Amino acid sequence: MPISSFYGLQTSLRGLLAQQRALDVSGHNIANANTPGFSRQEALMTASPAYVVPAATATGAGAHLGTGVDVIQYRRVRDQFLDLQYRAQASRLGYESARSEQLDRVEVALAEPSENGIASQLAAFWDAWSDVANAPQDMAARTALVEQGNTVGESFKTVIGQLELVAAQASEEYTRLAGAGGEVDMIARELAALNTTISKFVSAGDSPNDLYDRRDLLVDQLSKLGRVSVTDSTDGMIEIAFGDAAEPIVSDGTVNWPQPLADPDGRLGALRDVFKPGGSVEQYREALDGVAGGLVEAVNTLHRSGGADFFAVTPGDEAASLRVAVTPQGVVAGASGFAGDNAIALEMAKLRGNAGIDGAYRSFVARVGTEVRQAHTQEANAQALSDAVDGRRQSISGVSLDEEMSNLIRFQRGYQASSRAMSTMDEMLDVLINRTGRVGL
Amino acid sequence: MSTRVTTGMLSQRVLADLHRVNERMVRSQTQISSGKAIQRPSDDPFGTSRAMVLRENLDGVEQFQRNVEDARGWQDAAESAMTRMSDAVQRTRELVIQGSNGSADQSARDAIAQEIDELAESLKEFANASYKDQYIFGGVRTDAPPYGQTPAGDVSQAQPGPVARQIGPGVSVAINVDLGAVLGNGAGDDRLLHVLRDIATHLRTGDGAALRTTDLERLDAGFATLLDARALNGARSNRLDAALGRLAELEEASIAQLSATEDVDIAEALIGFSSQQAAYQAALKAGANIVQSSLMDFLR
Repeated sequence: MPISSFYGLQTSLRGLLAQQRALDVSGHNIANANTPGFSRQEALMTASPAYVVPAATATGAGAHLGTGVDVIQYRRVRDQFLDLQYRAQASRLGYESARSEQLDRVEVALAEPSENGIASQLAAFWDAWSDVANAPQDMAARTALVEQGNTVGESFKTVIGQLELVAAQASEEYTRLAGAGGEVDMIARELAALNTTISKFVSAGDSPNDLYDRRDLLVDQLSKLGRVSVTDSTDGMIEIAFGDAAEPIVSDGTVNWPQPLADPDGRLGALRDVFKPGGSVEQYREALDGVAGGLVEAVNTLHRSGGADFFAVTPGDEAASLRVAVTPQGVVAGASGFAGDNAIALEMAKLRGNAGIDGAYRSFVARVGTEVRQAHTQEANAQALSDAVDGRRQSISGVSLDEEMSNLIRFQRGYQASSRAMSTMDEMLDVLINRTGRVGL
Repeated sequence: MSTRVTTGMLSQRVLADLHRVNERMVRSQTQISSGKAIQRPSDDPFGTSRAMVLRENLDGVEQFQRNVEDARGWQDAAESAMTRMSDAVQRTRELVIQGSNGSADQSARDAIAQEIDELAESLKEFANASYKDQYIFGGVRTDAPPYGQTPAGDVSQAQPGPVARQIGPGVSVAINVDLGAVLGNGAGDDRLLHVLRDIATHLRTGDGAALRTTDLERLDAGFATLLDARALNGARSNRLDAALGRLAELEEASIAQLSATEDVDIAEALIGFSSQQAAYQAALKAGANIVQSSLMDFLR
């Protein structure tokens, strides 16, 4: 059986259609060049099944005659392994940046070094004792001492108040993110809905590229809030485990949230580490209680040798409850009670720079400083790693406008050439149909 | 690995670089305008701790200087009171010699005895000297004069005990002298007041022998204790002077160290700032060129 005369027209048509599809894909890529989470796509072309020339034909028997081109798939260019790496880094970056943010606030609350911090107030307190030692019977000096003692208490209370505020706000943000109707919940619901939609397309044999992109973007967002692990399920659906929650929060089309978390990592983990029992704020509070307790212990021990306690505190909550318990008249400058006896006031003044008071506070400030500095370094590291992975992901999946421009030209030329081939066929057939057998007309 | 650079990556990287340079510039700017290298503990945790120690030292030194000034005021007052006491004792001695002389008759001796009584009262008056409302010879009883202004007030009300001032870290020095051991209680202790009262009695009774011998000796012995007290006071003044000098050195050293720890080196910071500015401008220029150009500019 001979090959049809119209055979070439069909081949050119396939070429035209395929180039046009490829142009459409480039157009889609260009339109989405700035869409977050978009992966560039490409039309996968392959030569369509060849026509085997039958044995009975005059020429080329048994040869495979090409039939043109087919677009077999619109491929989403993406590397799943880079997604895994990116999400691991995003969790870490989420943790480190939130931690750094929270510790910054603690550091600011200390107001050190400055003229208003606890260190300066303590120094002024020792000065006040020296002034009492210089003029033990002077009521003005005693009043100033009592005032300064209360000011020290106020300074401690202010810092504790700020620490509590930091913890309260961290806890509030945690609840807003992880609670019912919070960001985690919203993302989980959208993911479940996407799973359902995707499964419909996939079971029909489709590849819903843009829905995949949207789903991956949501998982990326979730990974900033906490550790995420993704398992493939049936029909293109996925199952998502979040933090250390017992059950997957998204399983195909169902959402299981809220669930209790203990160590979720990510932003939630950092927030939790701030306000949880034994967390940063509580540790700092205990350290400050230790400083205040040391002050109370040392001052009261000396003061008791000639009278009542100088400071009153609530045990276990020293820093926030520190206040002076004596009146200016009740201040004891010396044990003997004689007006000029300043032995106790002198001993008090000598507490200046004491390792258990000023020294303990100093090491507390240095400790906070070191931890904040570490948090900044860790954040910078996590940022660099996350940027690097994101860069590699962008390098594979991102849209390059230059590339798309050259593709446009490429496919445009392909389209033009295909239509030229079709014209050539047409002219050939024109000769055959309109001119053949018209000799002498 | 060959990297496929996409349009989004380009603009992201340009922005990230600009952001980084900008951040460094802001930090330098804050350092230069505040003059402080340490704004917050995390800028330099060790330096912060060191600056806090130095600041504390400096604050202590200032307080010690105030304490020393106060102690010196106290000692100056004591010295001037004791100088006048010495004058009074000298005058007593002259009068004793005058009165023990056989040429003086009883009425002259009575007049001398009268003056001796006045001198005894003035000794007590000097001993009641005060500094900033504190009786400096009252021992730790600084709120009441040690002596009353009648012969009955010869019994010292002073409460012996140290009154001290802190003049350095952990160092305090007593600033009061125990004048009770010098003046005594007017009877039974051979101290100055007792001696003066005895002399007056001996003058009135005409006991020239006692005046010439024992009284003069006892007066000299009493005078010696007064001189000892003055010497002690003077030695303490020297110690306070030395302390003041040492505190001034300590203050200077602390200020210098504090400045070295927390102040910014302006020259260095300005040079750093200039190079950051240059880097910023270069980054802006390069970024502007990279972000703008595209293959589209060249395709017709």
